[in-house]
Amino acid sequence: MTEIERKFIELEKKKEKALILYFTAGFPSFEKSIEIIKKSAEKGTDLIEIGIPFSDPIADGPIIQYTSIKALENGINTDKCFKLASLLKNIINVPYLFMSYFNPIYKYGIEKFADRCVESGVSGLIIPDLPYEESFEIKKILKERNINLIYFLTPYTSQERTKKIVRKANGFIYFISIAGVTGPRESLSPETIQSLKRIKKIRKISVALGFGISNKEQIKKVKKYVDGIIIGSFFLKKIIDGKIGEFEELIVEFKKELKTY
Amino acid sequence: MLPDRKGKFGIFGGKFAPETLIEPLEQLEIAYKKISKTKEFKERLNYLLKEYAGRPTPLYFAENFSKFLGFKVYLKREDLVFTGAHKINNTLGQVLLAKMMGKTRIIAETGAGQHGVATATVCALLNIKCEVYMGEIDVERQKLNVYRMKLLGAKVIPVNSGSKTLKDAINEAMRDWIANFKTTHYVIGSVVGPHPYPMIVRNFQSVIGKETKKQIIEKERRLPDFLLACVGGGSNSIGLFHPFYKYKNVKFIGIEAGGTGINTDKHAATLSKGQKGVLHGSFSYILQDNYGQIKATHSISAGLDYPGVGPEHSFYKETKRAEYFAVNDQIALKGFHILSELEGIIPALESAHPIGWLIENKKKFKKSDIVVVCLSGRGDKDVMEVAKIEGEL
Repeated sequence: MTEIERKFIELEKKKEKALILYFTAGFPSFEKSIEIIKKSAEKGTDLIEIGIPFSDPIADGPIIQYTSIKALENGINTDKCFKLASLLKNIINVPYLFMSYFNPIYKYGIEKFADRCVESGVSGLIIPDLPYEESFEIKKILKERNINLIYFLTPYTSQERTKKIVRKANGFIYFISIAGVTGPRESLSPETIQSLKRIKKIRKISVALGFGISNKEQIKKVKKYVDGIIIGSFFLKKIIDGKIGEFEELIVEFKKELKTY
Repeated sequence: MLPDRKGKFGIFGGKFAPETLIEPLEQLEIAYKKISKTKEFKERLNYLLKEYAGRPTPLYFAENFSKFLGFKVYLKREDLVFTGAHKINNTLGQVLLAKMMGKTRIIAETGAGQHGVATATVCALLNIKCEVYMGEIDVERQKLNVYRMKLLGAKVIPVNSGSKTLKDAINEAMRDWIANFKTTHYVIGSVVGPHPYPMIVRNFQSVIGKETKKQIIEKERRLPDFLLACVGGGSNSIGLFHPFYKYKNVKFIGIEAGGTGINTDKHAATLSKGQKGVLHGSFSYILQDNYGQIKATHSISAGLDYPGVGPEHSFYKETKRAEYFAVNDQIALKGFHILSELEGIIPALESAHPIGWLIENKKKFKKSDIVVVCLSGRGDKDVMEVAKIEGEL
């Protein structure tokens, strides 16, 4: 069992849903991104997703594009991301994952990348441009090291494909709530809720909902269908705007909403 | 025939796309396979290629240039096709396909604006809404094409992310497609992107090679010894090469943009200097740094200024079916001038690359050799730029 799977079990016992936050490594700076991650863990974040910036993030909206380019300009690179992760080991006690596009991982060397994940306490990988069909080799390498490769699903994924992916998934499923790229949005579609119900019928697997979550009302509506929510752009925007106080309050507020007892 | 079921050419290609794109890509593949085989589609496309775009284009024996070089050179005159470049072969096919799929909106990316103009042209003809993503820097340096697209009724959307050029325009178009695929078809302009795009674009561009084969047999009663074309993303070259794939005596030579030199960091010679990796949805050669970040590129020719290349070219390189070389800006300019002076044909700077390479490497050829060069576009669009570089304006 991985740190991530253990976390979901622990939360289930406590009748809580996971609050998963995304941060871009090296944004606004190497030191500040550590500080922000530390703060968010203290305020109740259950899992941290750390983005390794990529020059061409096709699955991300304007906010994550902006933070990625800024971080790269600040000199972040894959080795520094591992350094950042290693430092977190002694600073926070919640599991953390890496989010990276496939090319930086491939270029680094998949095995070497996986070994460094182990050393630096990274317990899962999210690769937005690596589809299920291309994932078998890397999944095997990660599995040998007790690291989860997180699969994606969308409301438009065909039923047959959904079944295939759900059966092979581990850690949790990253469910993309509406068609589109990352960024805050106002409402959730009926298709989303239907697909979420479908997944649960196939197998007992944790599902985290991402892409477009920005307020408490949304959380209230969806929490009964999922095991966690992922928020990226919405909080990054607060950081870009320098609203750190508001950022901390919102974590507390959202986490409270995710308690179901 | 390649690609295989997973969209692979050997190890290259594939579908390295976000899960949100998998369903649209599958729908596109199914629709393409079904619709492109119908009599209705074929007849309509052939009609438009002939009556609207002006195909077949001549395979012109360049007598003066041949004498200058010492062996026979034929030019496949894609510069004479409507809108002035081969791009329209693909946009006619894709927009027609989109119409028959019931899509109501077309999006495209463009670098220099050639593909954008070719898309906007066909959208005007077929009466479908068109929006073109273009990097802010390109919008600035290609004002004339921006205005052309507006005249044709298309909306040009400036992209201010990343390097603000072609690759960022592709990123933005993909993001749009992810959000709007139900109503929208994304017309990619080259043999790049996730499967099935490299296959679809290749098939629509193969008209170049098919015509060439027929024409050269009529004129020479035999196949050529060499096929030459420029390679940016690689659509005119694949279009020329692919129908000759099984004729192993016909050698393929692709010429990339060497910019200020392939040992500087200002070039776009992806196959010559790149390494394997994933960009824009397919596994291919790409220009990247040690951490896998995509590098900025440079070429005098905007159409070749791209850090990736079609996966089928990577496959040709790996299996040694084709050879790839790069020439720098200066040699391309030399080709630009010599062809203009000897034949009265001003080539696009893209097409001037293989012309320049031939001049520099003429000693490698025998007197009896027959070489076909794809003259992928006309040079009018580049005249101002060249005049500026040479201090004439």
